[in-house]
Amino acid sequence: RSQISVPVFMFFLSFYYCDNGLSSLKMELLSDVSLLPGEERITDKDIIYICPFSGAVKGKVLITNYRLYFRSSDADVTVTLDVPLGAISRVEKMGGASSRGENSYGLDITCKDMRNLRFALKQEGHSRRDIFEVLFRYAFPLSHGLPLFAYLGQEKYAENGWTIYKPIEEFRRQGLPNNKWRISFINKSYDLCDTYPTVLAVPYKSKEEDLRKVAAFRSRARIPVLSWIHRENQAVIVRCSQPLVGMSGKRNKDDERYLDLIREANDTTKLTIYDARPNVNAVANKATGGGYEGDEYQNAELIFLDIQNIHVMRESQKKLKDIVYPNVEESHWLSSLESTHWLEHVKLVLSGAIQVADKVSSGNSVVVHCSDGWDRTAQLTSLAMLMLDSHYRTLRGFQVLIEKEWISFGHKFASRIGHGDKNHADQDRSPIFVQFIDCVWQMTKQFPTAFEFNEHLLLTILDHLYSCRFGTFLYNCESVRDQHEVRSKTVSLWSLVNSKVDMYLNPFYTPESGRVLYPVASMRHLELWVAYYIRWNPRIRQQQQSPVEQRYKELLALRDEYLKKLEQLQLSDSSTSSHLANSPTPNTTSSSTSTPSQQYTHLQTPL
Amino acid sequence: MEFAEHIKTANVEDVVLRQPLQPPSRGTLCITGHHLLFSDREESDSRQVLLLLRNIDATEKSVENLTGYSGFFSNASHSERMSGSSGTITMKCKDLRVLQLDIPGMEQCLNIAHSIETLSCLDCVSEMYPFFYRPVELSLPEQWGLSSPEMHYSQMKELYEKWRLSTVNRDYSVCSSYPPAVIVPKSIDDDTLKKAAKFRQGGRFPVLCYYHKKNGMVIMRSSQPLLGANRKRCKEDELLLQAVIEGSDKGYIIDTRSRQQAQQARMTGGGFESKSFYSRWKRFHRPMERGKALQESLIKLVEACGDESNNMDRWLSKLENSKWLSHVQNALSTAGLLVECVERDGHSVLVHGSEGTDCSLLISTLAQLIMDPCCRTVEGFLGLLEREWIQAGHPFQQRCAHSAYSHARLQQESPVFLLLMDCVWQLWRQFPLALGFSEALLLRLATEVYASDYGTFLCNSDQERCALGVKERTHCLFQALLRPTQRDYYSNPLYERTELAIWPSVHPQSLQLWKGYFLRWTQQVRHLEEAQEEIRNMVIEWGKLACS
Repeated sequence: RSQISVPVFMFFLSFYYCDNGLSSLKMELLSDVSLLPGEERITDKDIIYICPFSGAVKGKVLITNYRLYFRSSDADVTVTLDVPLGAISRVEKMGGASSRGENSYGLDITCKDMRNLRFALKQEGHSRRDIFEVLFRYAFPLSHGLPLFAYLGQEKYAENGWTIYKPIEEFRRQGLPNNKWRISFINKSYDLCDTYPTVLAVPYKSKEEDLRKVAAFRSRARIPVLSWIHRENQAVIVRCSQPLVGMSGKRNKDDERYLDLIREANDTTKLTIYDARPNVNAVANKATGGGYEGDEYQNAELIFLDIQNIHVMRESQKKLKDIVYPNVEESHWLSSLESTHWLEHVKLVLSGAIQVADKVSSGNSVVVHCSDGWDRTAQLTSLAMLMLDSHYRTLRGFQVLIEKEWISFGHKFASRIGHGDKNHADQDRSPIFVQFIDCVWQMTKQFPTAFEFNEHLLLTILDHLYSCRFGTFLYNCESVRDQHEVRSKTVSLWSLVNSKVDMYLNPFYTPESGRVLYPVASMRHLELWVAYYIRWNPRIRQQQQSPVEQRYKELLALRDEYLKKLEQLQLSDSSTSSHLANSPTPNTTSSSTSTPSQQYTHLQTPL
Repeated sequence: MEFAEHIKTANVEDVVLRQPLQPPSRGTLCITGHHLLFSDREESDSRQVLLLLRNIDATEKSVENLTGYSGFFSNASHSERMSGSSGTITMKCKDLRVLQLDIPGMEQCLNIAHSIETLSCLDCVSEMYPFFYRPVELSLPEQWGLSSPEMHYSQMKELYEKWRLSTVNRDYSVCSSYPPAVIVPKSIDDDTLKKAAKFRQGGRFPVLCYYHKKNGMVIMRSSQPLLGANRKRCKEDELLLQAVIEGSDKGYIIDTRSRQQAQQARMTGGGFESKSFYSRWKRFHRPMERGKALQESLIKLVEACGDESNNMDRWLSKLENSKWLSHVQNALSTAGLLVECVERDGHSVLVHGSEGTDCSLLISTLAQLIMDPCCRTVEGFLGLLEREWIQAGHPFQQRCAHSAYSHARLQQESPVFLLLMDCVWQLWRQFPLALGFSEALLLRLATEVYASDYGTFLCNSDQERCALGVKERTHCLFQALLRPTQRDYYSNPLYERTELAIWPSVHPQSLQLWKGYFLRWTQQVRHLEEAQEEIRNMVIEWGKLACS
């Protein structure tokens, strides 16, 4: 009997393992991954993740139409990866069916967010073919005629982020229109300039036909328009593209007169034109029909800000990635960092913006341009505005700033980031917006109480710059966005942010409305943003949320609890206190009538 | 008083003072034996600057109208020339401030410069300002310092069983740089100690400096053993160390020199504990920079920080070339190794280099901060400094005679204590909640160590301090820092005691230049300080409310 019972028992065991066992194991591994509404599983597979920090890790990978998710199956190491497919710039096969060596056959994935991922598979039966194809297809949907995930997502939020920026309201906040500046709808169907927004602020004295003539003389018709006006001294920041001077040194009287109208608007003797480029580059641009404002522009001075072009910035970031991922340069860290020139570029952008802000706050209007006026120009105007206008330093104001100076004025997000595009080597790619956020971070470090938002917001913005989960950073300009119905078919990143504001607030924020912030743009005072650029390295101390901020938030929570208790006490005591309130002694009156909420607002003033 | 002979001109009117972060001001300059006093003439908003002459590291003078100077001795118009000319004195301070005085009259200028140069580097300790500092509200303390070795021992009940307080050094005859009482293994008698002391440089035989309550392991420190070229041995020294690890399988020795340096030291009479005689001790060599090299590193760093030229392209290279941050990294990682031995590995450790008065103290102090929560409060930290630096005989007088600006030939200057402050700052930055004190305390200490009203950092050892009556005739800085208002100011409102070890990350990416110290006289750091102060006040405000 016993001889018979054994095989039965074994059969039972193996049956259990084959069926229930495996599927339950599978369930256990990846079924609990919480997906976004609208996100769909495409495939999963056993795989080895070659982690640069803890070595080869066995586990399972799940690919959805939004993300690549990996979790280790080994009990002793827990490694998870959760990477939006939008962050992937390149997928390559590594090794061949015949390559030798352990884990030499698999996939090599390059990401846009300063990391690479490497997976190894079994070297048999073309095991990587389908996963490669799925990844390639869903990481680069636009190259395969598929929609970006932002169009598939079904997320719902309490707040609608698309309403955060209304151009007319923003102009009104700045005090526009006034008797010097008017709002023009000349571009309402994008036929003056297809990369500009529909609503523009221009000199009051300029006529619509003047604008068309000026457009003919500015690269891509990006005419000088107002971005910001100083409430007290009426000095303005005007942005545009380069004039089409060319080799022959063409002049355009309308353009010259138009710039003089800008100068006249606040009655100063000189208009300052900041050309973001290095002088030589501006000269070189003449060969392709561009150029810069020459002496024919009377009453104007031209200053070059020496900021390099998108290609230089791309190479600099590449070098930076080389020294921080996967291994951090140890022995000559500072000189290696210096040789990437990344901080030097940050310095030049910041110091350019400081010059702009300084000029404006001393009462002189400025015109800012580079070549096309959508990269360096956006950096300079938005940073100068951040220094000049405390509204942009609030959580919502910062969103408006990005919507206005970057998104509506046609920073070419699609070309610079390459959303859903397989062409990883495209020469249009460049980390211009990342560099801007880096500059903002440098400012928040130098002025820890001046910004309402915290580092977590900046990291979130950069994550979703690539993720394609929200429509905010998709496409190159408003006209294309309209064609693709971004606002009606996708969710805004600001919906996410504004529905959970607490996470993004700086508890140390102290509003000071009139203050102009001049950061120090000296190399001595700039730092590498370790929490962003080296965040994938577990060996570098993670300071994602500063413990000081955390502890302070705890204290605030305690305070709220205390106030609530106080309120309850006072409510239960209300009969006595109302009785006391009637007593004639002024002291008692004041103390007993101050309700908790009054105390609260009183206490909040120092913040 | 003798100072008078160095002061030919005590008062000058119409002097212009230029100092960082403030507009130049015009006023009266006055030189006393210890101070430079400047007061401007504004009746309403009068400003005074009182500078301890000791704080001045270097002076540079330039006298205008040097052609007039050649006619100095012609009788005619002597006084006219003198009054028409003027001079400028640049004073570079040990707290890294640079001040400039524009003084009318060449002779006055030269006199003032001469007084500053002489009085700022008086050698005689008993003439220094702490002996004259008598604030009205304070009487001289009955007991100087926070504690004594005797008090420290008596509070550590867990030591009683295996450790005793030896007064073998009560007259400083066994070791001139040790305090009169030290903690040693109970089984070792004073005669053995005396013999062991003869085998250690400067008589610094192994003594206990830290007892780890969690596992009973200890940190000992000493100077190098005097093996010499013919490999002498000393039974008593071996016994002493044997007694330290009694009941345990082994101990570790951390030598703060490289293996090669330690071997070479035998040529000059020093050496290291050889495996054959100290078989149960395992030795690590962790070479640390000291002495002149460290001083030169500081000089390079300060030079880079003070470079006002616009060409800042090479800042990061200059910072790297100064090597200061790699010294910080090295100190923290060696301290980390020490903690690993004691806390993780559960073994006792002996630390020494050659003299045992610099790097050994540096890493034993850092290790205690990393391991022991008691050292992380304001009181605990000052107590630690008192034990490990003041009582243990760090030669402050020699090490801090000059700072980074001095043109004088380097002698025994070395910024070991400043390096400690920097390392502690790195810990503080990485663990902003774990330390009970603020950055301001570190800044204050880093300043006071070079020039002070207090006697705490005077002299090179306890013996010298007693001989000069420092403990009777000067005020104690640590006591002053613990007075209620000061204590509040120097404490960290976010402090939350943690029992855990605070392991610092020592990657170069995790370490930063201590801008609060090295760039403290720039506008930017001032802004940051103000913002920190604001945050601090907010936290205190809410903290009070939340806890009420």
